[in-house]
Amino acid sequence: MIDHVDGLELRTEDLFAGYGGSPVVHGVSVSVGPGEIVSIVGPNGSGKSTLLKSIVGVLETLSGRVLIGGRDVTGWPSENVARIGVGYVPQVDDVFGPLTVRENLEMGGYLLPSREVAPRMHHVLSVFPQLERMTGRRASKLSGGERKMLAMGRALMLAPALIVLDEPTANLAPIIAKTVLQEHVRQLAATGASVLVVEQRARAVLEISNRTYVLGGGRLQMEGTPDELSSSPEFVNSFLGGNRRAV
Amino acid sequence: MLIVGSVFVASIGFGVVSAAVLALAAVGFTLQFAVTNVLNLAYGAVMIVSAYAAYELNIHGVNIWIATLGAIAAGALLSVFLNNVVYTPFQRRGSSPIALVIVSLGMTLILEFGTQALAGANNVSYNMSQGATVSAGSIQLTVVQLVIVGLSLVVMVLVHALIRYSKLGKAMRATAANRNLARNCGIRTGRVVMLTWLISGALCGLAGATFAMNSGTFGATSTDVFLVLILAAVFLGGPGQPYGAMLGALIIGVTTEVSASFIVSDYKDVIAFVILLAMLAVRPTGLLGTPMEAGRT
Amino acid sequence: MVYYITNLLVYAGVDAIACLGLSAQFGVGGVTNFGFIIFQAAGAYVAGVLSLPSSSADGGFQHYVLGLNLPFPLPWIGAAIVGGLLAIPFASIVGRRLRGDFAAVGLLVTAVMFNLLVNNYVPLFNGAAGLSLVPSPLQSHFNPQGAEYQWGYAAVAILLTLATYWFVQRITNAPFGRSLRAMRDNDLVADSLGKNVRSLRTSSLIIGGAIAGLSGAVLVGFINLWDPQAWGYAETVVLFAAVIIGGLGNNRGAILGAVLVPVAFEEATRYIPPVNGNPNLVPALQWVVIGLLILLFLWFRPQGILPERRRRLSTRPLPDEATAAAATDGGWSLPGPNGPGPSAGSDHPGLIEPLAPALPSEGAPAGDVILEGRDLVRTFQGVVAVDGVSMAFQRGRLTGIIGPNGAGKSTVLAMLAGTLPATSGQVLLAGEDVTSLPAYRRARKGLVRTFQLASEFKRLTVLENLVVAIPGQRGETFRGAMLGRRYWGTQERELVERAESMLERFGLLALADRYAGDLSGGQRRLVEIMRALMAGPDVLLLDEPMAGVHPRLAHQIGTQLVRLCQEGTTVIMVEHELSIMDEFGDSVFVLADGRVLAEGTMAALRAQEEVVEAYLVG
Repeated sequence: MIDHVDGLELRTEDLFAGYGGSPVVHGVSVSVGPGEIVSIVGPNGSGKSTLLKSIVGVLETLSGRVLIGGRDVTGWPSENVARIGVGYVPQVDDVFGPLTVRENLEMGGYLLPSREVAPRMHHVLSVFPQLERMTGRRASKLSGGERKMLAMGRALMLAPALIVLDEPTANLAPIIAKTVLQEHVRQLAATGASVLVVEQRARAVLEISNRTYVLGGGRLQMEGTPDELSSSPEFVNSFLGGNRRAV
Repeated sequence: MLIVGSVFVASIGFGVVSAAVLALAAVGFTLQFAVTNVLNLAYGAVMIVSAYAAYELNIHGVNIWIATLGAIAAGALLSVFLNNVVYTPFQRRGSSPIALVIVSLGMTLILEFGTQALAGANNVSYNMSQGATVSAGSIQLTVVQLVIVGLSLVVMVLVHALIRYSKLGKAMRATAANRNLARNCGIRTGRVVMLTWLISGALCGLAGATFAMNSGTFGATSTDVFLVLILAAVFLGGPGQPYGAMLGALIIGVTTEVSASFIVSDYKDVIAFVILLAMLAVRPTGLLGTPMEAGRT
Repeated sequence: MVYYITNLLVYAGVDAIACLGLSAQFGVGGVTNFGFIIFQAAGAYVAGVLSLPSSSADGGFQHYVLGLNLPFPLPWIGAAIVGGLLAIPFASIVGRRLRGDFAAVGLLVTAVMFNLLVNNYVPLFNGAAGLSLVPSPLQSHFNPQGAEYQWGYAAVAILLTLATYWFVQRITNAPFGRSLRAMRDNDLVADSLGKNVRSLRTSSLIIGGAIAGLSGAVLVGFINLWDPQAWGYAETVVLFAAVIIGGLGNNRGAILGAVLVPVAFEEATRYIPPVNGNPNLVPALQWVVIGLLILLFLWFRPQGILPERRRRLSTRPLPDEATAAAATDGGWSLPGPNGPGPSAGSDHPGLIEPLAPALPSEGAPAGDVILEGRDLVRTFQGVVAVDGVSMAFQRGRLTGIIGPNGAGKSTVLAMLAGTLPATSGQVLLAGEDVTSLPAYRRARKGLVRTFQLASEFKRLTVLENLVVAIPGQRGETFRGAMLGRRYWGTQERELVERAESMLERFGLLALADRYAGDLSGGQRRLVEIMRALMAGPDVLLLDEPMAGVHPRLAHQIGTQLVRLCQEGTTVIMVEHELSIMDEFGDSVFVLADGRVLAEGTMAALRAQEEVVEAYLVG
């Protein structure tokens, strides 16, 4: 059984974000249509994580706007962004370490009315059956792949209409990475949610995306469909130091 | 032999009373640490201010148990004030944990000696009767002491219910484990922190009033040594672990009183001190704690 | 009136001496010793019992030990010695890898408990009554009540204050003091640079303890009383307040704080009339004000009234700072392991050891393998981060280690440097197996690494950051510090000049006397590289040196690194910025999924399908 949600539209307008007042992201405008899977790729240090953090409210924007579902959410604290149906899976510190798998999922369902928690959890566990076996285990004791599944499951508890994922396959073995992207991220989108995913593994994420942006040096370098990009030599070069801009 | 035996058993009774007061205090302290990562060394000072608040009501004719509600309110409000007005601003600007400890020591001076300036340096006591003495074998406790133990047990059950079953309890645990992620789950962590200090402050106030009742007389600096017992209980159970604090309080409360039946009673608190240092040296995560990063200055 | 002034002076002296000791411990060494007051109390006690007659005298109404009735100044010397010795058990509490605030709490608790013990234990301490009738020094020769004696005592107190000031100045101005401050700023990095942090902490405690003990002796000889109440929890906080308000890490600030907080404060409130009905109001308010002052100062002026002095080590006029942004062409050679260095006279032990004695020097052909990793494996909690990596690095070359995220590059570097132990495999430095050696030992053999996150000592100047990296300096030991500038001055000057040359070469000479913490990210990165070079390594391991660095600066760094290689240093860098490798790298290893995927020049690798794929696949 797959719940259906109405995917939220995401749009950033000329977004500047960074740490301590100096921008890492320079005037980036991206969009995710309802129900789309959009990926952002680029070499290390290109500002991908920073961009996501400012979208979900973990980091303050320096200038520009963020619109979700047509609403201006620029500068909103992250708990309020979560409350309008945005699920965020950070790259690190993505689970509640001292809590068990079950408790992690419960926390994910914090905003739900209590009678909906159990059926919701049942559904999430059916999406990630490996977690079913270890509901009593502490999150800090899980392997890398299991943790990432738990992190995504936790975000899924609220049946989010927009899911934002920051390098979900970082530090995962290639086979597991493939599964995470091709199965799990696809499943998240299958609920109707819009998905924005940042990735280092460009090839793999291109396979599941509707559209892709390439970020380099904090700026948008390219955008297009996976077919357009993978046949472009410029795309390949942007990963191998073709762009000389360090952040 | 028989006499020593009955002194020993009697001391266990006193130990349980001591543990009851200590549990109230230690659980409050550890909750503050869990959610805000601050070692609030002004906790003892807030206790004594609350005790004095009850005293003021008491000497104006209010029954001591009603006045205790005043102590609870005082503890709660003062603790929220302490966190919002003092600790949080320093934390926001990136002060080191050591700086926060020094800040809390400064607050201790302000609170304790401010109280002394207002109330005078003489020790005071509540206008109350300790009630009849109840015996069970060698254990002899007054009614008041029994009430304190009962009160503490009830509160422990309530705390357990709060942490395990209530929505706020869940939010507190999430905030303590990973504040940013808790926010991503939609939890308003700012509110959670404030409520935690309100509740732990209430515990602090109650601990202050019962401490004063159990001590007989008290003065503005009476909780200085008691703070050591609180720290010992907290670190024994594991800093940030409420159930650890309860366990630690029981162990510390009983062992300090029992040790008084063997060594000169003036030194009974020394055993708490030894336990605390041993825990810091050997297992700073406590008996129930999970491994934390060490060496943060 | 006379007594009022002499009283004031003696108390000021006692507090000033104590604060100097605390400043040395807390301000300079960064050791938060909330048990400080115990040392003063112990010193006072020892001075008391050493100068008192045997305890059966005067009818035996007091209980204490010793009672040797020793003449002045022996009790005072004893006090200082015991104060210092007492530091040793304390060092074991602070020395462990404990969270700073946890350790501080342990010490605070110790102070409280000590007070409890002392208040109660009669045989040794006479309980709450303390000790009275402690003889004044030289009381058999002079009348202690007389005005001349009082002035004399005050003069002695002031002299001792000045002597303590001189002593602490000598320590803090020497390289020893610099090592303490480095430990304070970043003890992990100080450790990786070869500073024995444990010994530094212990020294810090011993010095502070001895000074505190002395201050206790001065006090007890004056008031002829040893009162346990005088050394409680609140008194500890007052001393900390004094040092914070006066200025942490500034010796004059310590004296100022001592005069302002305990002394002036006490005197000022003396003149406020007691409020009717509450005789305790004023003394209690004193404490409240001290608490308020602590909070206010920590908020508005945490550096204190007299902040820690910035030490200007530069020996020549510095160019203006605008030039720091422009590249300079050094053009001349950096003293390396075989080049000119500080005079290495063999008659003094503890001089800078010639670095890398194990490496073959002149005559070795450039291009031979100087560093090698064989079948390096690293597993952690069941995850295999590095899966059998073998790499050989040639002398005098700039080699890169590249690869997508999570390939294990930093882990390999850490295993080569010794900061991470290899689960299996070997590391060979110039043919010698160094696999079991920890990082600081490899550093002494000429293998030095930098860290990814900025690890400069923020409150040391740039010059100090560079000079502190050199091991085995004369002035770094306590003895060396006490022997004074005459002993370590020449070497210091040479090291500073060497550091200045390094700065000039990298174009940052203008920043020599600036605090390293005030520099921009790129400049701090350069300082870190320069610091690694100061030790004159043969092999330099750089962990993402260009991360977050402006392209123009990255280019400068690259040029400097190439020059270093031409001079014989081997440079190995983990890097993400592939354009750097294009321009400066001789050859490159590509790592993916914990294994070596390919090796060669960047141009060649770009043409290889699987390398390209590795980057796109991630």
